[in-house]
Amino acid sequence: MVEEIGSAGYEKTLPRRRAKRLDNAKSTFRLFIKNRTALIGMIITIAYFVIAVIDYIDPRWLGVENLSTALLFVPGHLANSELPTPPNFSGSWWYYFGTTYSRIPILPVMLGALKYDLTYTVIIVFIGMSVGVIIGSMAGFYGGILDEVVMRITDIFFSLPFFVFALAIVYVLGFSFQNVVIALIIVWWPTYARLTRGLALETKSLKYIEAAKASGASGVKTLFSHIIPNVLSPVYVQISLDLGSVIQIFAGIFFLIGALGSSSFPLEIGYLLSAGLPYLSIGIWWPVIVPALFLLLFTVSVNLMGDGLRDVLDPKLRR
Amino acid sequence: MELRYFIIRRLLLLIPTLIGLTVIVFVLMWSLPHAFLASAFVNPKAPNRAQQLQDAYAQLGLNQGIVLGYLHYLVNTFTGHWGYMTLSNPIHYDGPVLSGISLFFPNTIQLVIFAAILSILISIPLGTYIGSRPNSAADHIGRIFSLSFYAIPVFVLGVILQVLFGKGVIGGNPLGLFPISGTFSTTAVNLLNPPSWLVSGAGGIVLSEPTHLIIFDSLIHGDFPLAANALMHVVLPVITLTLSLLAGILRFLRSSMVDASNSEYIKTARAKGVPEKTVIKLHMRRNALIPTVTVLGLLFAFLLGGVVLVEDIFGYPGIGLLALSAILSGSIYGVLGTTFLFGIILVVANLFVDVVYSILDPRIRY
Amino acid sequence: MYSIQNSEDKPKENEKKETYLKVENLVTNFYTSRGIVKALDKVSFSINKGEIFGLVGESGCGKSVTALSIMDLVTDPPGRVVSGKVIIDGFNIFSDVKDLARIKVKSETDVKIKKNKRAIKRHNLMLSKIRGKKIGMVFQEPSLALNPVLRAGDQIIENIMLHNRVAIADSLINRANLSMNDVDELIKDIQANRNEMGTILNAWCKKNALADIEAQLLSIFRNYNDTKDIETEIVTLIKEGLETVDTNALIEARNYYEYIEELQSLNLSRYNSSENITEETLRDIEGRIKSLQNTEGSKYRSYKIKKIFTGKRVEKIFRQEARRRAKEILTLVNLSDPERILSAYPHELSGGMQQRVMIAIALASDPKLLIADEATTALDVTTQAQILKLIKNLNQYVGASILFITHDLAVIAEMCNKVAVMYAGNIVEEGFVLEIFDKPKHPYTVGLLGAIPSPQVKSSEGLKLKTIKGSVPNLITPPTGCRFHPRCDFAMPICSQSKPKLININDNRKVACFLYSTEVDA
Repeated sequence: MVEEIGSAGYEKTLPRRRAKRLDNAKSTFRLFIKNRTALIGMIITIAYFVIAVIDYIDPRWLGVENLSTALLFVPGHLANSELPTPPNFSGSWWYYFGTTYSRIPILPVMLGALKYDLTYTVIIVFIGMSVGVIIGSMAGFYGGILDEVVMRITDIFFSLPFFVFALAIVYVLGFSFQNVVIALIIVWWPTYARLTRGLALETKSLKYIEAAKASGASGVKTLFSHIIPNVLSPVYVQISLDLGSVIQIFAGIFFLIGALGSSSFPLEIGYLLSAGLPYLSIGIWWPVIVPALFLLLFTVSVNLMGDGLRDVLDPKLRR
Repeated sequence: MELRYFIIRRLLLLIPTLIGLTVIVFVLMWSLPHAFLASAFVNPKAPNRAQQLQDAYAQLGLNQGIVLGYLHYLVNTFTGHWGYMTLSNPIHYDGPVLSGISLFFPNTIQLVIFAAILSILISIPLGTYIGSRPNSAADHIGRIFSLSFYAIPVFVLGVILQVLFGKGVIGGNPLGLFPISGTFSTTAVNLLNPPSWLVSGAGGIVLSEPTHLIIFDSLIHGDFPLAANALMHVVLPVITLTLSLLAGILRFLRSSMVDASNSEYIKTARAKGVPEKTVIKLHMRRNALIPTVTVLGLLFAFLLGGVVLVEDIFGYPGIGLLALSAILSGSIYGVLGTTFLFGIILVVANLFVDVVYSILDPRIRY
Repeated sequence: MYSIQNSEDKPKENEKKETYLKVENLVTNFYTSRGIVKALDKVSFSINKGEIFGLVGESGCGKSVTALSIMDLVTDPPGRVVSGKVIIDGFNIFSDVKDLARIKVKSETDVKIKKNKRAIKRHNLMLSKIRGKKIGMVFQEPSLALNPVLRAGDQIIENIMLHNRVAIADSLINRANLSMNDVDELIKDIQANRNEMGTILNAWCKKNALADIEAQLLSIFRNYNDTKDIETEIVTLIKEGLETVDTNALIEARNYYEYIEELQSLNLSRYNSSENITEETLRDIEGRIKSLQNTEGSKYRSYKIKKIFTGKRVEKIFRQEARRRAKEILTLVNLSDPERILSAYPHELSGGMQQRVMIAIALASDPKLLIADEATTALDVTTQAQILKLIKNLNQYVGASILFITHDLAVIAEMCNKVAVMYAGNIVEEGFVLEIFDKPKHPYTVGLLGAIPSPQVKSSEGLKLKTIKGSVPNLITPPTGCRFHPRCDFAMPICSQSKPKLININDNRKVACFLYSTEVDA
């Protein structure tokens, strides 16, 4: 037994490492699939993104062009033919989820809104993550004053509730899609910074980092090729969970103040929901419930996927 | 180290955090045009406006550079000069920011405390029960429940509850029992001869003495029908917030319980002959609460965001609605003031959470 | 309480040794998603009173699983004790093992286990009386095995309060009834004859049933010289906390707990009914339970209600007394400054101290068997030596037998009287340590010890470790017949077909190998 090990030598293991990482990813994926709920979550999430991509390629497939949400919310009286219709699963798919005044069908409008919501959410999460991960892992890795400063700054950011802080930033910057995105990035990066800082601290003291340093790897190289890859596993989990949280806050902001700003009406699910509220008093529930369900389904799926990821990646971390 | 020293040290840490909070709010403020800051600071209806503007410039240190400006801001904040706000939508208020905030503040605190206490009281026994039986039927139901209510955006949940249980939303709804706006109904008060402790405050707000909280004041004064009515008004908003918070706590508590149950010390406890109930309540739960408490601070931050949404949906006059009105009415000092206040609430809540954490975990009392 | 044995009490060498623990055909499986791990394959051995019994084998051979199975502490899911007997002091804790769950095996990976909740509840209730009281267990990593949020003292006291209510009540009453005359007499005796301090104290404590504070009294006499001082110290020690409690309340509490304990032991014996107990005896026991409940039960129904109001004070006193006993135990495990340890949290203690606390917890209710599962593996060499010495001393003074589990042959040689060698879930050899080391019989033992198996040649090479060819088998698909045969240099055709039975090949040696017998294990 003992005679067999050791004769392979270190040289043979180097090219194996990259192959091993791919193998690792494959077996992780296979393990992930075994969790049925997580799998369903992932499929549904992907479906949402597919819809958004289709919308980008050619909105006409979804029939969302030429729709102005300005017509969604029209108080007052209109001729009979203009009244809203309830969900109707026969006939054209446009009308599956009902219509509002002037027969604006809800489903295509929602699919159009989805594109913006998903795009902006993804932008927020990925930029926030990138900024946070780099700052956090640098803080954890280099330690010292940098670490202290980063910790204090993230502490300060954490002393304000996410939503309120985002609202305040949006107010100061002015209300627009871009500014909401910027506001949420500002609010969100400290989460990733804290997360990666802790992990970088742990990874820093692992033996193979010392070995890498001893063999002459420079600080930056060590940071990017050793520390960050290790830190990424819980970050993946956090990303999928955050897709859910961020879209909630994003929609929440538009729900509250979506009518602000110039005469353009934002194509956004939160705003659609708030626009549907007045219909409730006359007993028409679908303009509210349908966007709500779309949002709910997305956040549930993304959370299931995130949980599944955590279950799969966690024991590997704990080694 | 002693627990007492830890608490004192943690209290001292409060100061830099608060200072940091002021820095952020100040940065938000300073990035706006200075002329705008000055004019918004004073009462637009006051006489000799030119003089007022000059005074405002001086008081805010607008011409003295950012550092002095910050110091001026600090002084103003701690002396209560938070500026002036004119709100129109949906709250109508015209007056100094600080007094306006203090009018609406108790209502929000009432919501938050009810929701927090209710969530904790329900989640701890429930989480213990579920966490001690992984993969049981109860566990699966619990996980589905907590996931659904955690994933629902707060405003969606609020609207759905309003639709289902609100009075007068859907005609003829047998479950429509709860009022959907305000803190009490005018029908519960004798408008011709209102009680002396119910006062009209600025901006058409009705205030009650002495606590400004209608539920408690009417109890104190013995007006039980009004108290009951006020309570009903608070039910739907509180339930919305509670469900959200509860789901979050339950998720973490459950997984911490499962982690704890796989630990070696549980084996030791069983090997001693400790009955299973005690193993769960004492050994597992005590340890599972620790990681749960660390996440409470974060959940509370989400709760405060939820407060703004809930107050909007249910027309509940608290500082959440105040903040919203400030934004919609374009009142900068209203926005800054409410943001600052929300920050203070969160900082205090985090302090509380940290202290509880240090009580639970003897390992971190360095 | 702790029957510290004096030289007069030690059993004579040729007295018949009584069996305290008997494990018979124990089968434990782990039902995992990859298949059924047959961890224990009909393990059998027994431990006599006062013996230090070693269980040795490589990692994965099932030693720890054996220890856990004895106390039914195997993680469930996925593990279960499937069949067999574990007889502790005459009581088989697995008498109802078949009733606990129905296991349907369709294939290695498709197993359906349906548990009988009520039977399991009864089973666990029974177990909670045995664990901690009849057997104590010490685990490998004391820093993980101690609850980090409870003080060390509280964890010891927990054990004491669970199993010793009557004894605590008794000693409280004795202490309350002690007169100054008795104390003065003791002091006079000892002052007159300081050399005989230990014996005089021992006799006095026995007479007044105060054995639980013997060690503390001894230390008082050692540290103080002035009679007045000694008197004050002793009085403080004895009367502490008793001023506020009414002796009658104590007596009532004691009777209540005695009633409870009697009910429990009767229930236990009824529970054990499948073991050689006739219908008649069963009915007799049930009758006794009923009559007990009738006569005494009514008395204690009102006591239970009273307890809600007055119980706090009695409970406080009980806890104080338990604390005293905890201090005694800490002195027994050689921890100086027991006061500090009692209020310390586990993370404030060093590894050696933590392990001593673990031992204190295990021994708190005076069990006659201590299971040490790799108890010293996680400690540094110096601490390891100290703990081993402690365990050996405890075996002598307290009279508890020890089941010592380890993979370290040197420790076995140092500590144990007898040893059993385990391989892949089977006991392959068992006997006296010196004899096995001198003349190992089973090929695995031989390989383990690195000696040449031949009856004529004396092993003159001492203890050397040599590798055995092959590797530890996968217990989901273990080898057929004798589980060692693929690695055995002496394998014969029969070895792959049938499993050899563990039989006595002479008075003190058991081997499971076809080289020495032809008996097959069914």
